Amino acid sequence: MKRKKIKVSTVVISIATIALMLISLFPYYYMVLQSFLPWNMVDKTMVPKSISLDSYIYLLGGKNSGSSDMFQWIRALLNSFIVSIPTAVVSVLTGLMTGYAAVHMKYRGKGVIYSTLLFQMFFPVIILLVPRYMLIRPLANSYLGMMLPLIISIWGIFMYINYFKTVPAVVFEAAKIDGASDFKILMKIALPSTKSISIIVFLSVFMTRWNELMWDMLVAPDLKMQTLNVMISTQFNQNSTLPGPMYAASVVLTLPVIILFLCFSKYFKEGINFMLK
Amino acid sequence: MKKKKFNVMPWVFNTPYILYSMIFLFLPLIWAFWLSMTDWNLMSPNYNFVKLQNFAELFTDKKVTAAFWNTLRYLVPIVILCFILGVGIALMVSKLPSRLKGFAAVMFFIPYLTSGVSTSVMVKYLFSYNSALSTFLREKLNLNVNWLQSEWAFYILVIMIVWKMAGYYALFVLSGIESISEDVYEAGMLDGCVGIKKLFYITLPMITPTLTSVIVLAAGLSFQIFSEPFLLTGGGPLMSTTTWQLEIYNASFVRFRSGYGAAMAIACAIQTFVVIQLITWIMNKINRKFGW
Repeated sequence: MKRKKIKVSTVVISIATIALMLISLFPYYYMVLQSFLPWNMVDKTMVPKSISLDSYIYLLGGKNSGSSDMFQWIRALLNSFIVSIPTAVVSVLTGLMTGYAAVHMKYRGKGVIYSTLLFQMFFPVIILLVPRYMLIRPLANSYLGMMLPLIISIWGIFMYINYFKTVPAVVFEAAKIDGASDFKILMKIALPSTKSISIIVFLSVFMTRWNELMWDMLVAPDLKMQTLNVMISTQFNQNSTLPGPMYAASVVLTLPVIILFLCFSKYFKEGINFMLK
Repeated sequence: MKKKKFNVMPWVFNTPYILYSMIFLFLPLIWAFWLSMTDWNLMSPNYNFVKLQNFAELFTDKKVTAAFWNTLRYLVPIVILCFILGVGIALMVSKLPSRLKGFAAVMFFIPYLTSGVSTSVMVKYLFSYNSALSTFLREKLNLNVNWLQSEWAFYILVIMIVWKMAGYYALFVLSGIESISEDVYEAGMLDGCVGIKKLFYITLPMITPTLTSVIVLAAGLSFQIFSEPFLLTGGGPLMSTTTWQLEIYNASFVRFRSGYGAAMAIACAIQTFVVIQLITWIMNKINRKFGW
């Protein structure tokens, strides 16, 4: 008897959860659907009667693209990758080094470094916008200029700090007694043990950088340097007469991040506990 | 002897961070305070030192007042909805059979990954005059509204933001719920704590620290809103959707009053600080009540 009762509630909750999930995911269905419709049907239907690749062909520089630069969308996608991947890699490495030093190394001035980290963690970055722009202006329209001010993730450093706090110092001290250098300990012992944290930091920084709008818009307004995010936002404000390609571009913008996260989603369970401390 | 030896490695490890924060934090920070007292226009090499004039102007600027109040207007529904949905989704997912659990959590998390630009594209066309939705609302329900230029715009933006963040917060709440040991529930059950009581007397009190973080994070969100109003409403209609980020961007880079923009950013930071401190203080009181 009792067993049956539990099962009923589980079924009800499962159905409710799935319903809510479908509502939450509906925008994706809509976006993908609209990107595959013939242009005269875009935004006119929720159920496809015919499917067309016009929007994607447009992005690839094919017919009707009407732009002097055939490969502008492909280049924008590449730009997004070129900017996001190094930022994520550097954030992981600096997070590892700074986090390890902050927890497992003894030196004078440690307290000062930790205080400045805390200060930055909760610092409203918007204050720095104008001066950072002035600093970077000589590097305008270059990858370096887009990357540098966002290349270290303070949040990432704290992820490592929170993680290293849970690792007993003995682990690293044992290696030290065996004569391993700090650098060797970092690379051979600390890095492998932080696999799930490193993956989370990499993905989160990648995602944040990929979706950055204001900074990229300011520093790289040049058509050849625009990231995909910036290109969509400028194009769709200028000519809102071509919804189809804009939907297709949005799909292309959204997919890489989702695919990356889905591939590594199993590491998240482990890492989520370090996010809030 | 060995202790006195200066260890260079910690400083090597800290070098990238120190360089970064010198160049991209402390230098711009000082610069920002200097700029906020000038009338610099972003391009010209000449500018005047105007002392506190910019700050005085903030109080009479309608755009600044709008940004200030809108932030609070955004904050209330965003925090409440993110909290309810975050806890709701987490509770529902935690009751699922374990095989479905991970999958469901990931699915709810996906909107968090989506760029504000993609969602804005969708919402803009979805609510444009000739779209299926607008036509349907106009012809069937007789709602002839220019959605993104009406008072509805604010609520559309709030929904977009809550949709994006709720699943992310649910993940935190879920990990909090999962960390409650089964013993606690069993002990509660002996004292007659079952059903909905279990939620309010055991589950929620057990995870108040997590809930505090969710509330503080969600409150911080309303100071970060940029892409959605920038792309969809331009802050309108009648500045009802404008935000600090948008106004600072416009002042500094569209109207070329960068000195004034810097002053605005400082005002924004002060509001952020005060509001977040206030919320943390209230939440700490609640936490203490539950013995945390």
